[in-house]
Amino acid sequence: MLPLSLLALCAVLLVAGAVGSAALTPEHLLGALVKSVRGEDLSTLEAIAWRIRLPRVLLAGLTGAGLSLAGVLFQGIFRNPLADPYLIGTASGAGFGAVLVFALGASFPPLAAIGAPLVAFVFALLTVLLVTGLAADLGGLPTARLILAGVVVGSVFTAATSFLLVAAREQSAGLLSRLLGGFGFASWGDVAALAAFTLPALLLAGAFARALDLFQLGERGAALLGLPVETVKVVLLGVATLVTAASVSVAGIIGFVGLMVPHSVRLVTGPAHARLLPVAVVWGAGFMVLADLLARTVIAPVEVPVGIVTALTGGPFFLWLLRRSRRGPAAGTP
Amino acid sequence: MTLRLYLAAATLALAAFASAQTVTDDLGREVTLAAPPTAVVSLLPSHTETVCALGACELLIGIDRHSDVQGTEGLPTLGDPYAPDVEAIVALEPDLVLVDEYSGLHETLADLGLTVYAGSPQTVEETYEYIGTIGTLLGRGAEAAQLVARLKSEVAEVTSVLEAVERPTVFVEIDPTPFTAGPGSYVHELLVAAGGENVVPASMGQFPQVDPEFVVAADPQVILLLDAPFGVTAADVHARPGWDGIAAVRNDTVIELSEDATDALSRAGPRLAEAVRILAELLHPDLF
Repeated sequence: MLPLSLLALCAVLLVAGAVGSAALTPEHLLGALVKSVRGEDLSTLEAIAWRIRLPRVLLAGLTGAGLSLAGVLFQGIFRNPLADPYLIGTASGAGFGAVLVFALGASFPPLAAIGAPLVAFVFALLTVLLVTGLAADLGGLPTARLILAGVVVGSVFTAATSFLLVAAREQSAGLLSRLLGGFGFASWGDVAALAAFTLPALLLAGAFARALDLFQLGERGAALLGLPVETVKVVLLGVATLVTAASVSVAGIIGFVGLMVPHSVRLVTGPAHARLLPVAVVWGAGFMVLADLLARTVIAPVEVPVGIVTALTGGPFFLWLLRRSRRGPAAGTP
Repeated sequence: MTLRLYLAAATLALAAFASAQTVTDDLGREVTLAAPPTAVVSLLPSHTETVCALGACELLIGIDRHSDVQGTEGLPTLGDPYAPDVEAIVALEPDLVLVDEYSGLHETLADLGLTVYAGSPQTVEETYEYIGTIGTLLGRGAEAAQLVARLKSEVAEVTSVLEAVERPTVFVEIDPTPFTAGPGSYVHELLVAAGGENVVPASMGQFPQVDPEFVVAADPQVILLLDAPFGVTAADVHARPGWDGIAAVRNDTVIELSEDATDALSRAGPRLAEAVRILAELLHPDLF
């Protein structure tokens, strides 16, 4: 499954790189590369290929990979099929941070100088710290309390965000689209920043594949088999939160991917994390790149917010997989 | 004696009937007033500006929070054009309420027994019609006709100078997502009148969200930042990945519009000629 998925991902990346409101060819990309190295000026299409299209496609891929990874980790730790990367308040915190910058940026220039992505990231982390602080109990992090605290804190931040949006309506230009998520102005800086979080997270999570399998036996069962449950929980939640916060601050809040991709992959590969993790990451990347491709081509050059595309395309696909898996043990689920 | 009474009554009735006005608003509703109104509430800046431009500022008893016409400073502000304080409006007992056709308020207010005109012109022609309609409603038909004639001649003054002049290609940015204004929108028509050419084709609609690649490929000579009042600067635009090759960026013709200019460009009403002149001065500084 993994080699096939990787091949498919490469194909998807190539198609996404070529197709768009501007029709690009590999020559444009190579020409841009050569000219950048030589310090020469780029032609319009070369500039589009190198500075807009490629970073955008890569950012979409990284975001999809990161959100899927976080989804797998959250679903593994909480053993709850509805768990998604935004469960413990990351998205609400990031959204609030971004709105804060837009609403108060004019009155507090330092805030505007720091910029929405960084403030969003900081608030995402603060929110999760608040949630874990609230949920902590006698040296551990009970998952039930985490979910409750996450939902409550998330609701509070969402309400605060809505209030700011209404109170500072004039300053909210561009804000709604940022909250809806998108890869419109992806830069190489964004790609580098997200890669710095996502790639180490992928490697680290891979090392914990076996631990996640043990988690499925319940925390008591895993502890009896020698797993340091609370430590593993904290590490994996931390990794998942960092990756999610980074994705949200760069690309906005894109739903559906972190919830549905892990489920879809699990129906095909089975629940063993050694296979689930890498395949989910690859599928997540490919899915997001495809969703972004659709978002910018279906009524090109007019764009559709990518979050709408992920929900509309991912939903039916997941339902199809669900139906397929019903037809008996031969379908591949143990 | 009785005959004179009857005659007097008939004359009064005739007079009342004659001053009764019925117009059709932008939602196709019939708006009828038995007599010219004396207490008008305006819930849209362009309505406020039109009422005052027709010399009827003193009729206003309430405005929305964004209206800022000279002469309306002391008036109670009733909130946002799309979510005003309905109780406060009713308490003022207006005989005419002017709302935006997309606000959805016409039903609520009409149910409460108020006379509501719902409209907002989208094009230059509609703006001239709209001024006439409001004039009719307020009993200021003559003033409305005069205002329209003046606006048309002021616009003609600008367009006549631009007849044989080359038109720069322009990208109008309404929002940093980016959202732009295409053919069919008020801003687009003002742009055309001011001697500019919109890079957005009609096929994209009136207010599309565009792929940034499109703007780079279109290579506009001028970029007008209508979102500058919200904090978007020319420097921000220069910094966008891949945008530094655009003509407007290279020639430093990314123009941040002031809040007053943006208001004039978005409020379809008596500031039409002023808006055309603002754009013409920006696009053809050598001619104006």
